[in-house]
Amino acid sequence: MSMVRTENLKKSFGDNEVLKGISIEVNKGEVLCVIGPSGSGKSTFLRCLNNLETIDSGLIYIDDELIVHREDGKNLKDMSPKKVSTLCIKLGMVFQRFNLFPHKTAVENLMLAPMSIKKVKKEEAYSKSMEILKKVGLVDKAGSYPSKLSGGQQQRVAIARALAMEPEIMLFDEPTSSLDPELVGEVLEVMKDLAQEMMTMIVVTHEMGFAKDVASRVVFMDGGYIAEEGHPQEIFANPKNDRTREFLNRILI
Amino acid sequence: MSPITISFIRGTVITLALTIASIIFGIILALILAFMRMGKSKILNGFAWFYVWIFRGTPLFLQIVVINFVPPLIYLSVTGKPMPRSNGIMTAGYLPMLLTSGEFKSGIIALALNTGAYCCEIIRAGIESIDIGQHEAAKALGMSKFTAMSKVIIPQTMKRIIPPFSNEFTLILKDSSLVSTIGLTELARVSRQLSAGGKWSYLFVGAAIYLFLTTFSTFAFDKLEKYFGRYE
Repeated sequence: MSMVRTENLKKSFGDNEVLKGISIEVNKGEVLCVIGPSGSGKSTFLRCLNNLETIDSGLIYIDDELIVHREDGKNLKDMSPKKVSTLCIKLGMVFQRFNLFPHKTAVENLMLAPMSIKKVKKEEAYSKSMEILKKVGLVDKAGSYPSKLSGGQQQRVAIARALAMEPEIMLFDEPTSSLDPELVGEVLEVMKDLAQEMMTMIVVTHEMGFAKDVASRVVFMDGGYIAEEGHPQEIFANPKNDRTREFLNRILI
Repeated sequence: MSPITISFIRGTVITLALTIASIIFGIILALILAFMRMGKSKILNGFAWFYVWIFRGTPLFLQIVVINFVPPLIYLSVTGKPMPRSNGIMTAGYLPMLLTSGEFKSGIIALALNTGAYCCEIIRAGIESIDIGQHEAAKALGMSKFTAMSKVIIPQTMKRIIPPFSNEFTLILKDSSLVSTIGLTELARVSRQLSAGGKWSYLFVGAAIYLFLTTFSTFAFDKLEKYFGRYE
């Protein structure tokens, strides 16, 4: 069953065409890792999926339902704020720079969206949020403001915050790139746990170890295209594309 | 109480009432203007820009004079009758009448329109200083623009806009003395009147009251800033 399917996504910033036609399919429970040099369009692709960037043309299906259909910068499908909001609720997003709400404690960060969007009662949101914080190992930090947490803890709260909306798919945009090296592990651990629970995940990452161990499929993006796609063993051991080989040589030294 | 004490109290009440009322109306106006400035509509944006341009670019003194004197003249030339309004100068300082007088209302309107222009920029700068990532996080969670503003952006803006607001409050408190030009006996005018005939010490009494008020308001705004910034 396909959870995310895109057809021919195109996106330009001014004259710079960042995505030149991306078509992928991600099935339920799959972990798709997107790798590639910076500027290859990985993050933009991810951001297009939940409409943080609006595509110029292409189709996006979520859960086999056509959600976005645009041609030449025009909507061929209703993209009202309400529609976009229902799309975003299905997709959880984790950012490179965490983007926690600094004026809310850890547990309040989790409670805010369920309470204001799904109209969940406060007590219910609280107990649910504490449960999720427990899962990411931060129940003792529930009352702390983000400024009092380490980068790794902040990112775990950010993952928990996305989970609190019970998304069907989790998007990770370089979730460990702004962390000190010694804090990367704890975040990857949480992501591994999620993968084991059969969460559908799309992960833009430079952590090749994670991609190797956890991904069910790896996509190598280069210059706005998908240059190569396959099982991690295949891609890392025996890349077919010259650009993939070059990239992996550079990054795996 | 001596007549002099009563005069000072009356002046202080007028000054405070002018300042607080105009700041409240000014902030409401500023919010509307700020969202016009940040919105998509070019017309509204242009209007708000024009408004700020006029009210920041001309002296408050002239704004007060224009707002007090021009509308009655227009009213007279259009209807042929004088505009019905109570005259603050004729009330001989009776407080309830002063507070309902046309001059007092003109003063509030002028100060509110003026501070609205400044506060608009304070609010806009505050909102625009919030990291784009906060908007994105709110959107990615499915929040509407309104929810994102009210639950995520504005609460974070508070701490940052309190210091410039404190500054603006102090300025308006002191600049409210300019309404004495249209005949309102607020604190500065009271001090000047009482000092007539060489009793210059009353000028210092007036200054001391201003100093007390500005010190108190600065202190209160500091507390407010700490409250809104407690998460840092």
